[in-house]
Amino acid sequence: MGILEEAFEENVLTTRVDWLLNWAKLNSIWPMTFGLACCAIEMMAVGAAHHDIDRFGAGAFRATPRQADLMIVAGTVNFKMGERVKRLYEQMPSPKYVIAMGACATGGGPYFKYGYTVMKGVDRIIPVDVYIAGCPPRPEALLEGLMTLQDKIRRTPVIRKPARLQPADLA
Amino acid sequence: MTSPTEAEHKPSIRPADESRTLPSGEREFFMDVATSDLEVNMGPQHPATHGVMRVLLRTDGELVTGAQPHLGYLHRCAEKIGENVEWLQYLPYTDRYDYLSAMNNNLSYSLAVEALMPELEIPRRGTMIRMICAEMNRIASHLVAFGTYGLDIGAFTPFFYAFREREWIQALFEKICGARLTYSYIRIGGVFNDTPPGWLQEVADFCDVFEEKWQEYYDLLIENHIFVQRTANVGVISEEMAYDFGLTGPMLRGSGVDFDLRRDMPYLEYGQAYDAGAFRVPIGTGEKGTVGDCWDRTQVRMVEMKECLGLVRWCLEQIEPGPVIGDVPKVIKVPPGEAYVGIENPRGELGHYMHSDGGKIATRCRVRAPSFVNLAVLEDLMPGTLLADSVAIIGSTDIVIGETDR
Amino acid sequence: MDFQAIADHLSVAKVPGLLSVELPRSPDKKIKDKGRSGLPYVCLDPSCIVEFLMFCRDDEALGFEVLVDLTASDPSSDDENLWILVQLLSVRHRHRLGIKCILPKSALSMPSSTKVYRAAQWHERECMEMYGVTFEDHPDPRNMLLPDDWVGYPMRKDYVFPKEYHGISCE
Repeated sequence: MGILEEAFEENVLTTRVDWLLNWAKLNSIWPMTFGLACCAIEMMAVGAAHHDIDRFGAGAFRATPRQADLMIVAGTVNFKMGERVKRLYEQMPSPKYVIAMGACATGGGPYFKYGYTVMKGVDRIIPVDVYIAGCPPRPEALLEGLMTLQDKIRRTPVIRKPARLQPADLA
Repeated sequence: MTSPTEAEHKPSIRPADESRTLPSGEREFFMDVATSDLEVNMGPQHPATHGVMRVLLRTDGELVTGAQPHLGYLHRCAEKIGENVEWLQYLPYTDRYDYLSAMNNNLSYSLAVEALMPELEIPRRGTMIRMICAEMNRIASHLVAFGTYGLDIGAFTPFFYAFREREWIQALFEKICGARLTYSYIRIGGVFNDTPPGWLQEVADFCDVFEEKWQEYYDLLIENHIFVQRTANVGVISEEMAYDFGLTGPMLRGSGVDFDLRRDMPYLEYGQAYDAGAFRVPIGTGEKGTVGDCWDRTQVRMVEMKECLGLVRWCLEQIEPGPVIGDVPKVIKVPPGEAYVGIENPRGELGHYMHSDGGKIATRCRVRAPSFVNLAVLEDLMPGTLLADSVAIIGSTDIVIGETDR
Repeated sequence: MDFQAIADHLSVAKVPGLLSVELPRSPDKKIKDKGRSGLPYVCLDPSCIVEFLMFCRDDEALGFEVLVDLTASDPSSDDENLWILVQLLSVRHRHRLGIKCILPKSALSMPSSTKVYRAAQWHERECMEMYGVTFEDHPDPRNMLLPDDWVGYPMRKDYVFPKEYHGISCE
């Protein structure tokens, strides 16, 4: 948004503008095809007809990170792949979101203890917005994760100044 | 594959006396332009590599001159984990190598451990349920192969149809063991629990419905003219090449070799099923092109799906009430010994080599993954093909990277 | 042919390198033998592996066209030997053969079987990086599954799990 970003105080007009901008964003989150392991199959099942992700506006899976808004890290990330995950994250244009799907992306999963080359959670290299539990999570769980992300986007101030804690509030 | 040197980049221009003037008045010069091969990374993040695999392609325009698969992007240390957790605790890890056919992975592991425990009796009902689950999982796995191969080639519809049928199979598996993808159901000694009431009837209904759908999918994609043109005569693997590279499963049968572990080195009751005529083994015949091309391999997988239905029906007739798991203690201690058991996974021969020293934890748990071995053939198969064909070839190997990297 | 017939054929043909034949045996308390269950295998001298595999592949009666598996095993950290295990399969005769070679950890080197079976190439690469075995004349001795700068041989019993890799914690 450039110079308009976080420029205005919160009032009726800016709230409505923010609501409109966020409504547009959350109903058209385009994910990147980033299925790594078993969770990728459940992600494909979400993309298929039975649990349709397209009804949330997120059906256009883009192969390139430069056109995607959302990276659903579906599967185990190990050190070799982690460098590539970081690079792909940096290639995505802002505003960008990350969903860590499944136990492996959240915290290493079943490979937590003896996996010498497994990264214990993808949040060690990129910032994650939503974590989804499960091994693999049901497609409905992924949809719930997506809806949680949509709630997060709904609350985001764009042209309003975000509410920040001031010293006067603590007194 | 070294980088091209600077000298190869410079174009050279022949002397001016080799030019001529065209009737329109323009001068035409002759130039020798030397091109260099381009090294392109296909993956690790790529829609058509079936997971995280990187293929370093060396291309001369549209022609691929070299291909080098790089693996390890999903290496999850399954074999090291096998040496650190107990026998039963390792079972969920077996689901996760070839996550599309988790029942078969569990079965391979359980059979390998049972080879070390000769006194363990596996009840017949357990064997029958194992066979039904393994074959249903084979159908589910081949459905993904069919759907995603269509997606790679550019056909979007088969993907949705394949996943619709998969939803039904996954719902059936959820009823029996609670999980949709990684089951941990087939355990050492039998299966975990008995079938819920009505499950066997629902499996029979599924078989009837799927048989009609199968013919639809076969005509939709496999007999499709465009699909045939994209896959026939592409990626031909001869019989000698298949033996040399150690290929097994549909890759081997697609090259015309009549070998299926279920029939030729039977485990469970596949031998009896074959003798009763429950299933046949399809092999590639070069119907649309050459024997051993991508179309043959895909056709073998499709026909195998149909034969699985025959097997499931035979098991449904044979199944009788009884216990489903043998007399297995809570904490399993396997007698010392070594055994290698290989079974027919949807992708090839999945073998487990287990070495026990008599304790609660295995000493060596080696997984012989079919996709790891099948992938090696890309180095020799891809040079000389077009770039678009490389996608068709990778798709026809039907690899799952969880298994390639373990 | 069953295992005993294969073993007899091998010893009659005086194949170089054949050391012994190991069959399953029941436990015997008198000699404190815990026994050996499982499947039988053949013990081989590692330096003769290429000739042995060539014989197995080219002999009419054996006809082992397919190399199914080539791997290594570290039986225990006290043991001074590593095992190299090979599995062969014959498609036309429908039989298998298990082979074991014992290599001392101080001299971990043996000829590469890539000349005989192309399938061995990738299996040997994995053994090299996981156990530190050297296969002489291997055409492509790069790391297969681990990152190129990984330190140590993970599958050995005395492997110490790393604490961090490239700045990311492994805990």
